[in-house]
Amino acid sequence: MPKLPVLLASLLFATSARAVLPIPDADNGGLILPPGFHALVVADKLKPLRGMTVAPNGDIYVKTREAGIYGLRDTDGDGRADLVKEFGSGGGTGIALRGEWLYHSTDDHVFRYKLTPGELVPAGPPERIVRDLPNRHQHSAKVFAFGADGQLYVGTGSPSNAYGGKKDRALGATGEDPTEFLKTYGGYWRYDPGKLEQTQADGYHFSTGHRHSTTIALNPVSQQLFIAIHGRDQLSTVAPQFYNDDDNAENPAEVFHVLTDGANFGWPFTYYDPRRHLRLLNPEFGGDGKKLAEPGKFPEPLIAFPAHMSPMQLAFYTGTQFPAKYLNGAFLAFQGSWNRAPKPQKGYQVVFIPFNAQNMPTGDYETFADNFAGKKVIASPGDATHRPHGVAVGPDGSLYISDFQAGRVWRIIYTDQ
Amino acid sequence: MTVRVLALLALLAALAACARREPAATASAKPAAPLPDDLPSDLSAKTFATAEALAKEGAALFTQNCATCHMADGGGVPYLQPSIKGSAGISNPDPQLFLSLILRGSAVLDEGAKAYENDMAPQDHLSDTEIAAVATYVRQRFAAQPITKPVTPADVAIARARPGLPP
Ligand code: HEC
Repeated sequence: MPKLPVLLASLLFATSARAVLPIPDADNGGLILPPGFHALVVADKLKPLRGMTVAPNGDIYVKTREAGIYGLRDTDGDGRADLVKEFGSGGGTGIALRGEWLYHSTDDHVFRYKLTPGELVPAGPPERIVRDLPNRHQHSAKVFAFGADGQLYVGTGSPSNAYGGKKDRALGATGEDPTEFLKTYGGYWRYDPGKLEQTQADGYHFSTGHRHSTTIALNPVSQQLFIAIHGRDQLSTVAPQFYNDDDNAENPAEVFHVLTDGANFGWPFTYYDPRRHLRLLNPEFGGDGKKLAEPGKFPEPLIAFPAHMSPMQLAFYTGTQFPAKYLNGAFLAFQGSWNRAPKPQKGYQVVFIPFNAQNMPTGDYETFADNFAGKKVIASPGDATHRPHGVAVGPDGSLYISDFQAGRVWRIIYTDQ
Repeated sequence: MTVRVLALLALLAALAACARREPAATASAKPAAPLPDDLPSDLSAKTFATAEALAKEGAALFTQNCATCHMADGGGVPYLQPSIKGSAGISNPDPQLFLSLILRGSAVLDEGAKAYENDMAPQDHLSDTEIAAVATYVRQRFAAQPITKPVTPADVAIARARPGLPP
């Protein structure tokens, strides 16, 4: 039997086009949203959650860091998942739907499950598309997206901070030649999404020179792939003679780029200063907080976000539920920093990135969903109540957000009220 | 080693020497403010009567060398760096395992023993007395049962001379 609020809602909004929207939570699930937006908690207290995707029928699939994949279904139309099924294993981060296939990645492999129409949980075992990717624990998430060519673009991070040798991340870290290392780490590789058991050697090495990118999505209009990259840590640990706590908290930028064939994003030699809008040499490679990188050698970021905020999933907004300005812009979840200490941490929010008439970001962004941490001043990530990680757009244009900290899933709706 | 690397090392050594000043009368002052001016001075010439005295020096070293990863409250960062509150490694009365970890970082751990995504960087740029101070502080503050017995520079020298983990 439908719950009372659903009955009330259908009576109240019987003639309205928005009658299908659920009743939001009175406290918006703890979030602060722009006027007219509301939130409800779809599921709560699941395992720590990573990437997310929503099927055309509204079923939600969300990765867990260490365990299986959750399938979440709302069977009575109140917006809350009353069917919560966990399947598979291996943890990981990446997830995407393509036709009847549910693709997902662990830190080592990319798999796909065949979905049965109407069934939340896949019936058979997964097929392995890419196997045994390089994984040395640090920066091991293997995010992926499908390009305009239908091919699978899979990221492999660099298990390193700034390639500072044995002293990487410690006082006096000294850069080493990364040429060999970058042949297997720190880039995107392209694979055939229909071919089983590929290795990295079977992939096409598409881009290089990144530390760790956990953000990749296809612009629905221009059909270009966009990525964000996590900047390096610990400038003031490695080279306190050049960087103080403030320099470290505010450097380097988390950068946003278009992903093009052969692109080199400048790691480990350089970093981008978001306040001065300059590309500088890393101290491991002769930098001193002032020395600029060779001009024009590496692409300028399209957006230079504040340091250490940790950009996770990116989702272009393709729905019509939200006001027109959101259409074909993108939402990006920032899981929140740890390396701004002893300054307060930053991030812990979902931002909206407007795209212009040329389908490129304008360079600006605005906070969309905030207060995940549940407090104004965050000393340490452990103090945050929630940390947003996944974002996905549902078939009716609702935005879904997943939580890496306490396993919550929110649905954001727009009611104009 | 290239000339450039040697020059860089010499520069770092010179800078480190500049940063080392005579200890100011900070005993009753507030906890040390962040780097670089308030880094504790070279401790090697000093002796400490009590673990408390040694740990006082260790607090600033903890802020500069450990808190960036393990956070000021020792609580760590989920999946990246462990909480060290009550950690078995530091709660063991024998400090040798802990000292090996400080000196050589997570490279001393077996691949299978690594449970966190990040690597712990070796902290062997610290002197034996500095490591004794920070280890004493950490054991006093974060061990399951506070350990008052100080870690000595001699303990650190033993760990430094041994290539891997204690037997
Ligand atoms: C670059 C980040 C980093 C720095 C700096 C760092 N650590 Fe660690 N530490 C780690 C990581 C990562 C691990 C976990 C290694 C693993 O198990 O995979 C760890 C493990 C430990 C452990 C073992 C915890 C347990 O689970 O029992 C202790 C104790 C510890 N560190 C103390 C220290 C002290 C003391 C310092 C400063 C002298 C320090 N660390 C500096 C990252 C760091």
